[in-house]
Amino acid sequence: MNNFKILLKYLKRSLKSVIFSLICCLFFVPATLLIPFFTGKCIDVFTETMKQVNPDYSLMLQNELRYLFIICGLIIVVVVFQYIFESFVNIFIERTIVYLRNDLYQKINNVSISFIDSHLHGDLVSRLINDVDNVSTALISGYKQFYQGVITIIFVLSFMFWQNWLLALIVIVFTPLSFLLSYIISKKSHIYFKKQAKEVGDLGAKTLEDFENIDIIKSFNYGDESFKKFKEVNDSLYKVGRKAQFLSSLTNPATRLINNSIYAIVGVVGAILVVYGNNINIGISLTVGGITTFLQYASQFAKPLNEISSCLSEIQTGLASLKRINEIFEYNDDIDNGVIEVKEEINSLMLKDVMFGYEKDKIIFKDIDFEVKKGQKVAIVGPTGCGKTTIINLLLRFYDPLNGEINVNNINTLDIKKDNLRNHFGMVLQDSWIFHGTVLENITYGKQNATMDEVIKTCKSANCYDLIMRLPQGFDTLISDDEGLSKGEKQLICIARVMLTSPDFLILDEATSNVDTRTEANIGKALDRLMKHKTSIVIAHRLSTIKTSDLILVLKDGKIIEKGNHNELLLEKGFYYNLFNSQYR
Amino acid sequence: MEKSYYSLRNYKKELILGPLFKVIEVIFELIVPFLMKYIINEGIEYANNGNIWHIIIPGLIIILFCILGFCSTYVCQYFASIASQGFGTDLRNRIYQKVLSLSLSDVENLGKSNLINLINNDSNRLQLSVAMLIRLVIRAPVLVIGSLICSFIINVKVGLIFLAIVPLILLILGIIIYFNSRQYLKVQKSVDGIITYTNDSLNGARVIRAFNTKDISNKKYEDLTNDYFKESKKANLVAALVNPLTFLIVDVAIALVIYFGGNLIYKGNLTDGDLVALISYLNQIFVALVVVTNLVVIFTKAFSSKKRVDALLTKEETIKNNPIYKDIKIDKGDTLIFFDNVDFKYENAENNVVSNITFEIKKGETIGIIGGTGSGKTTLIKLMERFYDTSNGSIYYKGHNIKEYDINCLRDEISLVNQTNVLFNGSIKSNLLMGNKNATLDEMTTALKEAEAYEFVNKYDDYIDHEVLENGKNFSGGQKQRLCLARSLVKKSQLLILDDSTSALDYITDFKVRENISKIDDLTTIIISQRTSSIHNADKIIVMDNGKIDAIGTHEELLNSSILYKEIYDSQVKEKEHE
Repeated sequence: MNNFKILLKYLKRSLKSVIFSLICCLFFVPATLLIPFFTGKCIDVFTETMKQVNPDYSLMLQNELRYLFIICGLIIVVVVFQYIFESFVNIFIERTIVYLRNDLYQKINNVSISFIDSHLHGDLVSRLINDVDNVSTALISGYKQFYQGVITIIFVLSFMFWQNWLLALIVIVFTPLSFLLSYIISKKSHIYFKKQAKEVGDLGAKTLEDFENIDIIKSFNYGDESFKKFKEVNDSLYKVGRKAQFLSSLTNPATRLINNSIYAIVGVVGAILVVYGNNINIGISLTVGGITTFLQYASQFAKPLNEISSCLSEIQTGLASLKRINEIFEYNDDIDNGVIEVKEEINSLMLKDVMFGYEKDKIIFKDIDFEVKKGQKVAIVGPTGCGKTTIINLLLRFYDPLNGEINVNNINTLDIKKDNLRNHFGMVLQDSWIFHGTVLENITYGKQNATMDEVIKTCKSANCYDLIMRLPQGFDTLISDDEGLSKGEKQLICIARVMLTSPDFLILDEATSNVDTRTEANIGKALDRLMKHKTSIVIAHRLSTIKTSDLILVLKDGKIIEKGNHNELLLEKGFYYNLFNSQYR
Repeated sequence: MEKSYYSLRNYKKELILGPLFKVIEVIFELIVPFLMKYIINEGIEYANNGNIWHIIIPGLIIILFCILGFCSTYVCQYFASIASQGFGTDLRNRIYQKVLSLSLSDVENLGKSNLINLINNDSNRLQLSVAMLIRLVIRAPVLVIGSLICSFIINVKVGLIFLAIVPLILLILGIIIYFNSRQYLKVQKSVDGIITYTNDSLNGARVIRAFNTKDISNKKYEDLTNDYFKESKKANLVAALVNPLTFLIVDVAIALVIYFGGNLIYKGNLTDGDLVALISYLNQIFVALVVVTNLVVIFTKAFSSKKRVDALLTKEETIKNNPIYKDIKIDKGDTLIFFDNVDFKYENAENNVVSNITFEIKKGETIGIIGGTGSGKTTLIKLMERFYDTSNGSIYYKGHNIKEYDINCLRDEISLVNQTNVLFNGSIKSNLLMGNKNATLDEMTTALKEAEAYEFVNKYDDYIDHEVLENGKNFSGGQKQRLCLARSLVKKSQLLILDDSTSALDYITDFKVRENISKIDDLTTIIISQRTSSIHNADKIIVMDNGKIDAIGTHEELLNSSILYKEIYDSQVKEKEHE
């Protein structure tokens, strides 16, 4: 129920709409329910007229038309207000869901990187898209059924009792049976729905993995094996899906059975009452018209209960989804305790005794101590998995060190506002990030107001101008992460993006490993130009990059084992010396 | 080639019997008002004369019919669930197999996300439509027609009123469906936009924070959701017309029936019991039509799904296996692969990706391929694996045209480690077994050692049973690369192709791996690399430039003959020469 509170918060924003829709409902539902009453009255007019010895046509017509006139008026009320109600509810709930979606997305942008890293990407997307959809569906049908249902039940109950309490009692006693039946069925089918959801998820994951990597499956001739595994999951899905569908499809027929039986019982008892009702003077007399009315009311009474039970599964799904959405909202925002803003360029970056691990018992590195001065190019080398990429996470404060300090211009980065700190850094990561958009949009991402001249100049420096011009629409070509560009070309675009923002401190994480050495050399020249009065940290394996660095840090087994420039380290004849020489063997 | 409905072939029985049993239920339902009419007319009369059995017995018969009707429906729902789920399962299997049978270029043209959606979404929509078809679609028309017939039986004149309203309702439905099906496409498009943007943003979480573009990102998202809201609002305004309009028509009909019915009762052509029955039938028609309108959306979506699924199922494979030759053995020094003036370009593209490619690879040789980004190196490999066929020229494998060599055999004989290192969800062992499903523990250990991965794998308590998460994200870049290498090495193929597969390894490990590989007997190796250090010991190096071969030769020869090669070499090892 806590989960529901968050929904109420959103509904409160649309309080006027909630009230307005209630009023609409109060108009059309009773109007709908009054029609059978007046229909019955008409039939009574006929019955009474025919009982007379000399049926008076004009009197019959007069009475009949009076009722027909009311019925037509009611029809208009229903049509108008039902339309307003249905369209209005759909629209305002969609709008509420839009607010929910926007807030959820903002939350994702506010949480810490560790939250995003620790959740399956596909799971987060599912919560933002599918779970919100489920809540929307449940809300729309539940809301409508709730209003209509409650008003109908109150109205019909009162009316039935007012007309004939005996029949009303019969209806009330038997109708909940249908509700009970559908509730039982939905509980049983829910188990299978849950299982089905899991199998669907498994099938989806398998399909994604196999189709994305179909070239590997083909090159290993693994197709038959792959299909065998797929078929297994598919067959499990069949077993639970069939049961889920079969059980849930019994709901409506079961309720129909009960309702039609009630129909029969009301008819029988009603007919008896017509004959004998007047004799027993306890207010249970009935006319033929009254039977018609009652028959219609009996089915009207059952309707809302049935509708609610049939949208029970939607509501159940919606509640489960609401819980998953809440989990994101309840997560703490990324805390930023920094207050200082560094206005000038970075002229010194110092790491003192830094220790870090993503989990407290798995320390990745410790005693990390080094200083980068303005204008220096520092290279960090070492075996894979030793934490080089992690250092970037710390510098950009995606994670914070467990021990030690990182100082920028002698200020602890923990005290600097995160936004401000990050503004100083320009980073190009190992995995280039290209989003769905034009080439121009991708490049100007960090500097939206860049002029075309600036862009072209930067692209020429980053050596991607030619490749962009070779694309079908040049700068306006639509690109995305998985189509349009090769890995190397994506890297070049990302480099251009960073170059455009002209940051004072560059961080390059093996950025050039997918670009051939020739292109890399050219970029290197351009970056040199850029880096002339700037500072940079390069994490790479390419000796051509590292050998021109002012300082090389050799990171191995979580510690910096050697420090110095290329020549100094060669003289030491240590790890770096071995590394460098192995390229000749 | 069979389309989607072919998947119904095993369910003909259910497709016929299901609706049939539904129709039986409908017949029972249609009889009920007649019985009620009897109760009201004759039953009350008899009761007035002291005999209430003419009220009670028909009442009991109604209940009996209800129960029989339920049993009938029970059978129908059972058949429907078997047929629809079975159909869906069969369809999904066929889609999967079809995708696997297509060539890589076919798959890329159709779009991988599109194909994934075929299994996740489209087949479900079709499955649902089959279920609805059996369960509901037959019911409504039969109920409507049955009610029409019954009303005619009671009174022809009133029956005519019934006859008028049905086409009217269908017309309104038709117009609304027409408008809304186009509108729903727009809505779907905006939903796709939101999904894509969400995906991109999660992938670029670090970039968004590093560039401080949170506000821009949030605003863009709001624009997308507002766009969705606008489109769905239009659809809603139209869709909301359905219920009120249907209600209008049916209830006006009720009013008309009462009016004309009144006259007929006066003239003695109709009894009040009849009128009650007629109103009952009108309500039944109304209820049936409401169900149909709710189904329309399902069927519209199902129809567009069907088109997409059929497009896949009827696609002709562009690369066909023509296994004239297989399992051929050749000796060391014989020609393994020969490219004869090969050109290749993508379907619908103007320019060749590679052109005039001619070279020879002998069995036992180590070949290096080097060149800039986009120079066509990886394309050569894809042609060797017959992921694509040449546009011009031919490739010969073991002396025969590669198109005549059994593709499965070809791929068994070649081991490829590509640039993007992909591990599958499972365990290290399951990934290694992909390379060779009969690999023994010793063979797997050997492969790990050759790939310089044994050291870190051995550190795990569960050794090769250690879990591999989605895309191997619990391993570092270098570890993933070495595991992929091991997977290919355990295959023990005749030709090993390494496409930039040591880029994440430091020079020491790279050297060790190359050394290990060179010690493997009877292995022809192709190494594609950016580093001259990885290939300078090759028997032959092919230098690629912009889709063409710049030069072929040994390292020493190329230093003299290829400016490009010398440039690359110089930019990497110049310093050493001066020492």
